[in-house]
Amino acid sequence: MNKSRVFLYLMLAIPIGLMVIPTMIVLMFALLPSGVAFIMERGKGIYGGVCVGAMNLAGASPYLVDLWFEGHTVEAAFGILTDVFAILVIYGCAAFGWAIYATTPSVVSTFMTMTAGRRIAALQDQQKELVLKWGPDVESVYEQEDKKED
Amino acid sequence: MGHLRQFPRRSRLPRGATAPDPIPAPVGAFITVRDRYSIFYDRPVPSLDMPNALAFEVEDRKQPGRALYALISKPEMLARISVMRILKGNEVSNTLQMVDWGAADWPPADRKCIIIIYFRPLGGRVMDSLSAIREKIPEHQFPKLIIKPIADALIELGQKGITHRAIRPDNLYYMDEGRQKIVLGDCCTSVAASDQPVVLESIESGMSGVYGRGSGMYADDMYSFGVTLLMLALGRNPMAGLSDDEIIDRKVKTGSYAALAGDERLPVSMIECMRGLLTDDPEQRWAVEGIDLWINGKRMTPVQAKSETHSQRAFMFAEQEFFACRPLSVQMHRHWDDAAKAINDGSLEIWVRRGLENNNLADSIAAVAKTTQAMPGDQKEANDNLVTRVLMLMDPNAPIRYRTFSTTLEGFGTSLAIAMLQKKTLQPYIDFINRDFWRYWVSSQTAYHPDHAQWEGVFKDLKNYMKDTNSGAGIERCVYELNEWLYCLSPLISSQYVLEVKSVLPALDIVSKSSNTKMWPVDRHISAFLRSRYAKGTGTQIDAMNDERPDRATTGMLSVLAIVQWRLGPDTVFGLASWVGGLMGPIINSYQNRQKRKEIEREIPKLVRKGNLPELYNFVDNPEERQRDAEGFSWAKAEYAAAEKQMFELQTGQMDRDENAQKMGRQTGAGVAVVIMLLAYAVTLIGKAF
Repeated sequence: MNKSRVFLYLMLAIPIGLMVIPTMIVLMFALLPSGVAFIMERGKGIYGGVCVGAMNLAGASPYLVDLWFEGHTVEAAFGILTDVFAILVIYGCAAFGWAIYATTPSVVSTFMTMTAGRRIAALQDQQKELVLKWGPDVESVYEQEDKKED
Repeated sequence: MGHLRQFPRRSRLPRGATAPDPIPAPVGAFITVRDRYSIFYDRPVPSLDMPNALAFEVEDRKQPGRALYALISKPEMLARISVMRILKGNEVSNTLQMVDWGAADWPPADRKCIIIIYFRPLGGRVMDSLSAIREKIPEHQFPKLIIKPIADALIELGQKGITHRAIRPDNLYYMDEGRQKIVLGDCCTSVAASDQPVVLESIESGMSGVYGRGSGMYADDMYSFGVTLLMLALGRNPMAGLSDDEIIDRKVKTGSYAALAGDERLPVSMIECMRGLLTDDPEQRWAVEGIDLWINGKRMTPVQAKSETHSQRAFMFAEQEFFACRPLSVQMHRHWDDAAKAINDGSLEIWVRRGLENNNLADSIAAVAKTTQAMPGDQKEANDNLVTRVLMLMDPNAPIRYRTFSTTLEGFGTSLAIAMLQKKTLQPYIDFINRDFWRYWVSSQTAYHPDHAQWEGVFKDLKNYMKDTNSGAGIERCVYELNEWLYCLSPLISSQYVLEVKSVLPALDIVSKSSNTKMWPVDRHISAFLRSRYAKGTGTQIDAMNDERPDRATTGMLSVLAIVQWRLGPDTVFGLASWVGGLMGPIINSYQNRQKRKEIEREIPKLVRKGNLPELYNFVDNPEERQRDAEGFSWAKAEYAAAEKQMFELQTGQMDRDENAQKMGRQTGAGVAVVIMLLAYAVTLIGKAF
């Protein structure tokens, strides 16, 4: 990323950041689980961080909305951060995000295995039909070609 | 040829005409041929039997009262079809007049036989048999009663290109009851000269096997005529009681005239004629025109007997002394293994060189001995070749002699046919072809004959047929190529006496009811017969029949029959179609599509009921259907292989799948979480707004 772009982003972000300091304060603490998730799962891509981060943000949504509509102040921001229940909700949603991130792959894997099994059965039925129609001479055995390594 | 039908046809009368009185139906066991001749198989006429044909009474329904009789040729003998085709309808003076001939079902033999109908000689035979003694015919009656009529008959036969080859005293007949008109008897019911005893045949012909004498030359007929005249002049056979070998020995030793006439008292006026007819040199033997001149009183040039070179010193062989080549060769033929020894040890060559003073012959014998010993193969075969070739050199006029087998080149074909017909061993004939005996015989001839050149092409083809073991070739092909009018000898249809290709299918149709329908209707004989008689029409199809693949071979077999039916008929062959329909298994199985197979199986009976083989062939071997089946099968194979590959990948790609599942799961999880987040914000903002 060249310096001009970085400068452009900073020129945009700083004024916006100054305008949304209370939101930034809330988000800085509220999105700590998301940061952890991004760091921990960075080897497997961004999906871990996105999943936890999205749920993190979802947990923070009512409080942020309240902040935006009922006084966008630093005091209100600290009020949210010192509310145990609010922290519980925000971090609880992040935990839920972790749970989603942990379980969804196995669910998908199970589904894919089921699908493969059905697909194999369908292919076998198709082959039986071919043999019925064309006789056993139509059969053949698949032999995987060896990949030559340089 | 003439096919003789058995059932009468209705005739239409013109208007106003009244029906004639009905002809009384024949009484007895008979068959009807040509809708008019009733041949009674319960009324034999033994006095008119021939050695290979039985005589039966005949009634002509259209001309009752005509004295006729029929000769039924025995199934194990071949008739001279080519001669019958010429003689039918062509009256030849002073011969038995042929009324009709053909092949017809003969109940006593339970098969078709050749039947010849002749005018019946009312005076019986001139001589009942060769062992009989009859009253001598008076000398003055000979020219008018016998010589002139027979000579005229031979002239007419000669003009038609026919040699009689059955001239003998018991084959002459009195046509009239007054016994004044003598005619020559039948010469068609058996192979040329096969019924002739050795005494009535020239030395060379007598040395040949009876079926290998060939049609011969007119000079052979003149010889037989001469012996016949001599026997009639004497009233008996002067060599009765002698064996064939003894007869030949005497003729070879002293000459035919001296052996036959010997000390007999012949009519003086007949001596010159008999000397002329019985000379052993065919070149000097009287032709039939010479007889005519002699009858008319012309003095003929005396026959100069050519004497064979004699040796001063004897050659001992088989406990006898020999001074000339011909008699020695006769004995060597009878003592085959001793002959091989005499040749191999050089004693023969020495005797020929020093005794006969014939260096050319001695050199030839030595060269043959050297060549045959150098040839690969076993000793017995080498000795057989050696003796065969040396006998040819010693007596070039003799037939080809090979152990117990002897034949003229011309008679080889008929001899082979008879051997097949009578189920004798064919090995001598196979050896004859494969060992080029014909070539050695031709090269041993001292005089050139234009016929010799034709044998080159003939035997070259025969040898090629022998090398080919496929159906349509082999020894079967040889026999049909050598015998233009041989009927098909296949065990399937031999009883139907099939002479022409167009009769093959009707014959197969008839025998289909009683044949083993698991066998093909086209066997080696039938395919050889078709290939020989109709090569252009069936050659390719017979080649297809020899394919190794059963489906192609069966298609070839069907195509052979189909093309014959298409080109030569008949229109329908229900029995044969049913037979062939049952053999379509390999063709049906050659289609890969099971549905198509069932369709063909359902359709075949319908086509069989039509009796049309071309239609059946076009259906089972439709090129478009074949292509469609082949393409469909290729697609099916590809489809099967693709499915197999997919299954393999699915079964073996578990790790990859898990990895994908993990990735996809994370993506899904992230997606779900984002959706939940958006929903949460949306709900919160909407709640706030309201």
